[in-house]
Amino acid sequence: MTPPATDLASVDRALGAEAPLPRDNGELVFEEPWQGRALGMAVVAIARSGASWPEFRRHLAAAIAAHRPTESESAATAYYAAWLDALERLLSERGLLDEH
Amino acid sequence: MTAVDDHHHPRPPSAVELRAQALEALLAERGLVSTDAIDAVVELYENDVGPQNGAKVVAHAWVDDGYRERLLTNANQAIAELGFGGAEGDNMVVVPNTPAIHNMIVCTLCSCYPWPVLGLPPTWYKSPPYRARAVSEPRAVLREFGLELSQEVEIRVWDSSAEVRYLVLPMRPAATEGWSEDQLAAIVSRDCMIGTAVPLVAGPART
Repeated sequence: MTPPATDLASVDRALGAEAPLPRDNGELVFEEPWQGRALGMAVVAIARSGASWPEFRRHLAAAIAAHRPTESESAATAYYAAWLDALERLLSERGLLDEH
Repeated sequence: MTAVDDHHHPRPPSAVELRAQALEALLAERGLVSTDAIDAVVELYENDVGPQNGAKVVAHAWVDDGYRERLLTNANQAIAELGFGGAEGDNMVVVPNTPAIHNMIVCTLCSCYPWPVLGLPPTWYKSPPYRARAVSEPRAVLREFGLELSQEVEIRVWDSSAEVRYLVLPMRPAATEGWSEDQLAAIVSRDCMIGTAVPLVAGPART
């Protein structure tokens, strides 16, 4: 199966300065594997569902604003937790997560 | 949900990790993702394409004079030939190093950078000292990067902007006769294309 050809630069552009991916010296920061998978999951699901990145960005910015980080939570964990919220909301708004 | 079973964690998975797994399982069930597709994206991003694209452009220009010519006259089009770019409105200009001229790029205003070929800029590229000193004392800056240029070499500093982004085309090292494009691309680092380094060939052949 060919993966969607959304390159990282396009993702960066789509997220803009509003909700940039966590990076250290230009390199993506994944503290734990699930964070990388969360990113990959959104890239694949957005491409396959026909949802748009601006839509996702809107949800992500809202999720980041609403996120209450716990004391021990790192910035990357907080970001990708919000990321999961955003993806879930984006897809459920489109009725893609409804029970069949 | 049995996705957890085949993971081997030293610690029990955190709540958010379990949530990520649950969401992945749900999306997979709805046909919106597959494990393979996610793996492919993660792998692609972990090996952040970044400067590798630029390195391929440089290596191709080294082995193909016609391409080099096109790259220097219409960089956007030449870069697109290799399947890179795609930046609307970003005007790329490639500046070639010669024995007499060494080029380096900077963005004095902010951090404009030829990201379609180089990925994202390193932190120092965005730092106020580099942005100021690349213009005022480029030779000293290059020395700090470990690049000592002869006084006869003229240093040209190119100030990037939102309209024009520069990429340095380094000189091909002499000791690379007969190398494949892949071998050549491997010695073209990000800094070589910013102009704060030159491609080096490891081994005794280097003078």
